Amino acid sequence: MPRTTMNFSRYRMGALALVAVAIAVLPSAALSATGKQDPELAEMQNKLDQSLQMIQALTERVRELEAKQAAATAAATPPAAPPAAPVVADNSRLEAAEQKLDQLEKENASRTADDTGLPLHGFADVGVGTHNPINPALKGTYVGNLDFYLSPRLGDHTRALFEMNTEVGSDGTVGVDLERAQIGYQFNDQATLWVGRYHTPYGYVNTALHHGSWINNTLRRPRFLQFEDNGGIMPAHTVGLWLTGSTHVGGGKVLYDFYAGNSQEIFGGVLDMRNAGNTNGHMGGGARLAYQFSSGTAEGLMLGVHAFTARIGDNAMPANATRVLAYGGYAVYDTDQWEDIAEIYLFDDRDINGGSGTHRSNAGFVQFGYRATWGVPYARYERTVLEQTDPYFAALEGGGSYHRVALGARFDLDLKSAVKLELANTRLTDRSLEQYSEGLVQYAIRF
Amino acid sequence: MRSASDHATCPRPRLASRPRACLLAVVLAGASGAATAADLYVVCNANVTLQSSDVRDVFIGEKSFAGSTRLTPADNLAAQAAFLQRVVKVSADRYTSLWTKKSFRDGANPPPVKASDAETIAYVRQTPGACSYVQTTPPAGVIVVGKF
Repeated sequence: MPRTTMNFSRYRMGALALVAVAIAVLPSAALSATGKQDPELAEMQNKLDQSLQMIQALTERVRELEAKQAAATAAATPPAAPPAAPVVADNSRLEAAEQKLDQLEKENASRTADDTGLPLHGFADVGVGTHNPINPALKGTYVGNLDFYLSPRLGDHTRALFEMNTEVGSDGTVGVDLERAQIGYQFNDQATLWVGRYHTPYGYVNTALHHGSWINNTLRRPRFLQFEDNGGIMPAHTVGLWLTGSTHVGGGKVLYDFYAGNSQEIFGGVLDMRNAGNTNGHMGGGARLAYQFSSGTAEGLMLGVHAFTARIGDNAMPANATRVLAYGGYAVYDTDQWEDIAEIYLFDDRDINGGSGTHRSNAGFVQFGYRATWGVPYARYERTVLEQTDPYFAALEGGGSYHRVALGARFDLDLKSAVKLELANTRLTDRSLEQYSEGLVQYAIRF
Repeated sequence: MRSASDHATCPRPRLASRPRACLLAVVLAGASGAATAADLYVVCNANVTLQSSDVRDVFIGEKSFAGSTRLTPADNLAAQAAFLQRVVKVSADRYTSLWTKKSFRDGANPPPVKASDAETIAYVRQTPGACSYVQTTPPAGVIVVGKF
């Protein structure tokens, strides 16, 4: 393994030589058109000559050192010829130059290793369409999300993530949500325990993609997996504890998640994750397990299962309460060329207060995306069949069944901005039989 | 095989000092070390014990510890294209995208970026847990984890 110091001395000498060449070029450019030099230039020229002489001396000194090292390493050969008489002044200059370089090196390294501040990241998007992508009753131009997240560099084991999202509601008012506030302890590469408000780990989309539209190749998430205040039927956030990690197994990796937190409740038709705790003390939780292929022909493929349960009540009079049990699986094929995702959710909900028994529902989507040189075209089909006698879905504003077909494309303008187009047709299948088509354009950035 | 110094040509001198500058340029070119342009060395701080098979995971944020040592990888802009192609095996755009998702999902921060081999070596030598990569023969004071 090469660890020679002589090569590094060469770098230093090279750097000195480069500085000298730069000094040599600058005064020459300052010569007047008449060929005369003013006194300052003459003085600089003298200094330049002195510098070059010093460089020459240093170059000679390097050669001497190289010759000495070569002689020392060649034990079988006779000692090298005595070097030329050492130049004491050159030696001291060389040492001074090396010390200075060492100092600069240390300063630079410590500067780059320092905490240079709090990393602040964010996403934003705007768009225009025949319908608002979240609320189809609205049309025209819309302001999407302005999302900030902070990921401070802490100690070796402590991690933190805070995400604040500003979004425009259907009535045009701007609201601010603390979407994520989680602090975690990373025991090792296999286990991290988070506490706080986090993305509930079910399926793939809810944790891999989130509030930033730029991060998503498609223009929007599947309708039933939208966030709570956008009509989603699953609790996208949980406030509680989350143990997560992965470990290599075979040619791939096993990923796991276990979590428990405050049971969500429904207020005004919207799931609420009870940030400050709930009054009834009920808890929900779940798990996710996946295998990610890291080599071979299946590289990029991930297969997983997930389950979630919670006792979820609402604020109706009298109040409903449902033991929600959702479980299912997902598959993802994510490579340099493909981004294909499929998720399925099966519901087996039990009516606790109303005594209407158990209600079964299902929801799912399949999406194909291809990373072409010019963009990412995609196609998605999504469908829900939600039992309307289930008090859980009946209480949710977005609890109606539907199916949607969407075709779209993403065009990256640069590394931080993208334009997305989507054509979609949505058919509502139980609460109303409405059908509508959409043409949507979105401009999304990250910063 | 042509050496780097073969490429150092001396233009017609315009100043008396130019021949000396040209000599220095030749010396500078010769100082590029014994490594060929095809060599890529992954180097770590002396306190790091790492397998070459772990390098990819380190640079995509999947491996954060080597034993009890917290790893602090850094990218080297001067050698990043070769590194991404040979070791991480993703395009530069995909690498950026991976880290953006990782950062947004897990709160992890992407590796800082160094501008040159010299700056990279200085960072690795001085920073416990640091790992990076260079295209010149690594000097003493760092551990070579692998040559790609």
